[in-house]
Amino acid sequence: MLDLANKVLKLAATADWAEVRIEKAEGNSVILKNGNPDAAGFDRSLGIAIRVLVKGGMGIAFTNRLDQASLQAAAEKALKTAKAASRGLRKPVVLAPQKAQTADYSADCKVRPADIDSSEKLALLMDIDNALLSTKVKLPARMLQIDDSTREQWLVNSEGTSIHSTIPRLCFTYLLTAERDGDTEQRMRELGATGGWELVKQWKLEQQLTEEAKLLARILTAPRAVDGVTDIIIGPEITGIAAHESVGHPQEADRILGREAAQAGEAYLNADDMGLKIGSPVVNVVDDPTVRGSYGWYRYDDEGVQAQRRPLITAGKVVGFLQDRRSASHWGIHSNGSCRASAWDREPIVRMSTTQVVPGDQSIEELLEGVKRGIWIKTYMEWNIDDKRFNQRYVGLEAWNVVNGEPTTLVRRPALELTTPAFWSAVDAVGNDLGWATGHCGKGDPMQGVPVWFGGPSMRLRNIRLGLRPEAKA
Amino acid sequence: MTEHMTAEDVVELCRKLGADDAVAQLFVGNTTQVKFANSAIAITQNWSEASLNVFVACRKRIASVMLEDLDHLVVRSSIERLLKIAKSSQPNKDWAGLARGPFNYTKPKDTFDKNLVDTDKATDWVNAAIAATSAPKAAGVLYLRDTGHVLATSEGVHAEDRGTSAELSIRAFFEKDESGHAVSASCTKAGFDPEAAGRKAGELAKAARKPQPGQAGKFDIIFDPLAFADLLSVVASSASAYNVDAGYSFLAGKLGKPVANPSVTLLDDPTAAGGLGSIPFDDEGRPTQRTSIIENGSLRTYLHNTSTAKKFNSTTTASAGLIAPQPRNVILQPGSASKDALFKQVKDGIYVSNIWYTRFQNYRTGDFSTIPRDGLFIIRNGELWRSVKGLRITDNLQRILENIAVLSSKPETMLWWGMEYQVPVTTPYVLVKGVNITKPTM
Repeated sequence: MLDLANKVLKLAATADWAEVRIEKAEGNSVILKNGNPDAAGFDRSLGIAIRVLVKGGMGIAFTNRLDQASLQAAAEKALKTAKAASRGLRKPVVLAPQKAQTADYSADCKVRPADIDSSEKLALLMDIDNALLSTKVKLPARMLQIDDSTREQWLVNSEGTSIHSTIPRLCFTYLLTAERDGDTEQRMRELGATGGWELVKQWKLEQQLTEEAKLLARILTAPRAVDGVTDIIIGPEITGIAAHESVGHPQEADRILGREAAQAGEAYLNADDMGLKIGSPVVNVVDDPTVRGSYGWYRYDDEGVQAQRRPLITAGKVVGFLQDRRSASHWGIHSNGSCRASAWDREPIVRMSTTQVVPGDQSIEELLEGVKRGIWIKTYMEWNIDDKRFNQRYVGLEAWNVVNGEPTTLVRRPALELTTPAFWSAVDAVGNDLGWATGHCGKGDPMQGVPVWFGGPSMRLRNIRLGLRPEAKA
Repeated sequence: MTEHMTAEDVVELCRKLGADDAVAQLFVGNTTQVKFANSAIAITQNWSEASLNVFVACRKRIASVMLEDLDHLVVRSSIERLLKIAKSSQPNKDWAGLARGPFNYTKPKDTFDKNLVDTDKATDWVNAAIAATSAPKAAGVLYLRDTGHVLATSEGVHAEDRGTSAELSIRAFFEKDESGHAVSASCTKAGFDPEAAGRKAGELAKAARKPQPGQAGKFDIIFDPLAFADLLSVVASSASAYNVDAGYSFLAGKLGKPVANPSVTLLDDPTAAGGLGSIPFDDEGRPTQRTSIIENGSLRTYLHNTSTAKKFNSTTTASAGLIAPQPRNVILQPGSASKDALFKQVKDGIYVSNIWYTRFQNYRTGDFSTIPRDGLFIIRNGELWRSVKGLRITDNLQRILENIAVLSSKPETMLWWGMEYQVPVTTPYVLVKGVNITKPTM
């Protein structure tokens, strides 16, 4: 494939700069719905992306027709459209300088997920489903799904970069619906990682899901949260989603420069906001694709730039943006390796990988001790944020009243609805209980869902006014 | 289709290897995209793609494969593997087979236009749309699609279709927080009006000057077609029998019951002339049909394929998806009010021109929130009074449908990146009474 990539690169030799990315991918999926096996499925793809720069215009052609004529046509299409785009450009596309890289790497993987028979995966799901039924919790809807993918990529460019990589990933997804007297609560969650099938055992899925089911049954009996001002402790799952949504996204350089303005949106931050204070001094946030086993793990990004830990917020202040080569040229700096494409037929753009609040040194007990009256929100269902990443909302699923430092009773659906600076400025203590959540982050046009982790420790937020809640409807 | 095999060859191979039921779908397409930002072209992308989906059932054990690698050996080995997977699986107790063909098909009118094939007008159309905004900054995307589709099944179906579309989504900006968004999407060049979309986006952005923080409370809201299309995409998806079964639907258990104001009739109509999602056949090869999901406010049916229809003791709506039935071309029947008359009915309310990020606390109850973006206006005595920002719609989807008060008379077709489910929706302007609005508490 490397030979093919280099051969195609020559087809685009008249470009000022050219890059060829070949991706061979396979995926497998097994779904169990309410104890009934849905179609076991798999996918295979092999395709090529040719990205070129001509006189400051950028063009890309994608094809999975790999005969000589189709490759030639694709290269010509990329060149032609890049030339067309260069005409009348206000500002030519410039890529930040990058040393040529050569690498051949793969993720740690003892047992290839693709080698596990689908019947074994189905048996795993059926065992989980039987365990759920044995809880005696009324669960009228149970969706269980296990997916794996292996992405092998060859990346070459006209500057001499040549990288071959193989990355296997696993993801388990579930939606549980618990019912009591016509009332329902739901829990949806993904568990993902980069690596082999051996990771599945570590997830202890039967134990986790049966505990979730029993908890949903208890939540159904809990009273609704009341509005008012209170101290809040959030668990790692909510810390993580807040870091992803309201720190990672607004610090994507392409958003700041307006390139996603009509889709995922812009950012409340401006290009010259480096150093701006948005949180309390205990808040530190990084994005780090090198976290071993993380779902967004890679060693080189999809432009061939080495992966690295990227500080975003340090002591409450903005210290960095996520950059690809195109955006980095705006600031006259180097890319920090944040460029990813979700598939062979997608444009590489600025993306997060593993975004986290850096843990502090307090235990969860110490965080709780500091709360006379408050709410400890451990998980969530509903969340969203505006397209500038300024107005965010998280509605708790597992949430506990806290009285004099002790969790007492469950409380239902407390809503945090805060501006980004208000959220991060309210943090007065950061725990040491680092935890991770899995997601598929959506961005780009056509949409690209890329695998990510987000996480951090529990955090304590002082004097938070809970959001107004809508009237419930059965 | 592939260099060596037709869709029928694939079905035949599946049968030889032991499949009771088999479906092969081949997609071949050419797509051009022009993405622009800061009023300039950011990138032009071109796709030349072919893919093959194969589905089999062996003694009610079902399996599927999606191939974007159509090398003959890969296709053959993948089908062999597919059968092996199906045979080693467990029976799906709901599997009830495929629609028995052959069928005759009628291609929906105005779903293919040779003027949209291999055109070099993409850049011109983008530039015309940008200029029409009269705004200092515009961003967006234009897609030109030309897609062919061949389907064969073990029940004697052979079906083919080819469709085109031009889809422009444009957002205009003046100063900070002053933006407007509009869409023009059509299967034909005649129905495509990029300048009109640019103009509307620019006018909304201009009207959105100096937005101030809005207030929480209950308000009568006029939804622009762009905004309401997003909610209707969720409603239509919730009507899929698969989603009802899986816990993803607020419509579960409500067949025959009122779920909306009596003025509401919601269709899925893949037979509609010029429909962006119109297609002659579903994924089993059954001729598509016009289906009333909600009729005069009552939930008439879920969307079905052969298997879900049997499970729900109903009849298929020709909405396969082999696993999950799906809406293809959603239409909210218009009312009789002009847009102006609809606005005049609102003494004190809000006009929402666009929304995004619709998320549920609970799919079964329909409790959700979504965020207005772009022009958001207080309406006083039927006029746009001032521009506001920072609000969130926090309500229940069924209650929104029940509280629909007025529908305008001219529907518009919407399909853009921000829609929760990527299904084309045609909807008029909609007035909904008493919608719950929240805002950040700090």
